[in-house]
Amino acid sequence: MIEARGVSKLYGRGVYALQDLTLRIDKGEFVFLTGPSGAGKSTLLRLLLRQDVPSEGEMIVGGRNLAALTGRQVQSYRRSLGFVFQDFKLLQAKTVLENVAFVPRVLGLAVAQQQRRTFQVLKWVGLQHRMNAYPRELSGGEQQRIAIARALVNDPVIILADEPTGNLDPDLSLEIMNLLREVNARGTTVLIATHDRELIRRVGRRSLTLDHGRIVEVS
Amino acid sequence: MRALTYFVTEAAGSLWRGRRAASLAILTIGAGLFVLGFFLIVNTNLQRLAARWGETAEFAIYLRDDVSAEQVESLSRLVHDSGVAARVDQVSKDQALERFRQDFPDLGATAERLNRNPFPASLDVRLRPGASRAEEAAEALAGTLAGSPGVADVRYDRRWLARLNGVVRFVRTVGLIIVGMLALAAALTVANVVRLAAHARRDEIEIMQLVGAPLTYIRGPLVLEGVMQGGAGAVVAIAALGALSALLRARYGGAISQVLGMESLTFLPVELSGILLLGGMLLGCIGGLMVARGVR
Repeated sequence: MIEARGVSKLYGRGVYALQDLTLRIDKGEFVFLTGPSGAGKSTLLRLLLRQDVPSEGEMIVGGRNLAALTGRQVQSYRRSLGFVFQDFKLLQAKTVLENVAFVPRVLGLAVAQQQRRTFQVLKWVGLQHRMNAYPRELSGGEQQRIAIARALVNDPVIILADEPTGNLDPDLSLEIMNLLREVNARGTTVLIATHDRELIRRVGRRSLTLDHGRIVEVS
Repeated sequence: MRALTYFVTEAAGSLWRGRRAASLAILTIGAGLFVLGFFLIVNTNLQRLAARWGETAEFAIYLRDDVSAEQVESLSRLVHDSGVAARVDQVSKDQALERFRQDFPDLGATAERLNRNPFPASLDVRLRPGASRAEEAAEALAGTLAGSPGVADVRYDRRWLARLNGVVRFVRTVGLIIVGMLALAAALTVANVVRLAAHARRDEIEIMQLVGAPLTYIRGPLVLEGVMQGGAGAVVAIAALGALSALLRARYGGAISQVLGMESLTFLPVELSGILLLGGMLLGCIGGLMVARGVR
């Protein structure tokens, strides 16, 4: 599903964010990406989101070399992804319903389809009763569940999450992880960047540890 | 249709949220288009004036006091034979004095105090409509008449009509330069307001980019927001020009018509309003595009 072949990412003044990285994540896997700040976790996610391209090597997702995609193909590729941010990035002026429906709406889906998908995922994350609330009226855990609902509404094949529990307490973190495990159980590949080693231990899935842009441990 | 609904909803919502900055842009565009409209009105009316005066252009052939009847006859024949005249009226010295008294009643007493009538007799030649275009023929006739026996002077309206046309061209050029600068300022103001709106919507735009929304969905609302600002600015300009036109009509309409000889001045024709509206929307569109092109 996801394959990095000798990927390096070089920023100015000879600083490598990633160096000769080779990894493989199979379809339907649940993988943690961990390591200290500056290890290259976010850079790898940026490459997977095709916000950036490798300086060297190839990043292959679903058999497609991401660096070779045209602008239109990048849009099409991103429609197969779901992304969860550490700070939720919910639109404060929109209700829960509008936040989730925003994705199918900007993808040009019919209104009936937008509503059907939105209700489905809100029900799935257990927040259909809060659909008319605004993000500021929700707890941190609820906000992250809405963000996950938004990532799922387009039925992605891969979920990428950058420190999704970074702003949550341990209990809420576990709750979010359980939700992501349920997503994974439905066949979606999940890749989570986090530096919370305790959480990784409690969830107990494969983890790749990065340091100075290289994989230093696989467990 | 779904895309259009989305563009309109988002652009209108964004304008409402940033209404203070948007008002500034709308007023700037309004000011620019007001000046453009004003120059277009002045230009249109000057052109109409020039055309009208061109249609009614005439020669005045002032005769010497000692001119003979044969010479007058000969001059009349010369004018008729030229083919440019529609009518030739002979005005005697007494008729010229009477005309002066009628035209300038306040100065009538001054004329009375003179020992003799200072006004020359003349032949007033009304050019044929259409002959006004035959400028060379008219010019040649004026030259011939000026050198003919019995003629004191020839006044030919076309010479100063040419000057009027020069003024029209000058006004147009100056107007275009000013309007060009104002248009640039308006487009830049719109661009800045749309940029502010784009900044306020940066999370929304980032999410759209990450979920693979088509570029038209990302850029469309930004461009439409510019178009809406431009259109609103044009409406402001049209309203201001309409108010100015009503004021001028009420206060000076009669005087202007009397002095310039035009029954009704053209203030705000539908075509001009259409040009202003489209121009405003185009300026807004340019401003919006300047920002939207930077969003990938």
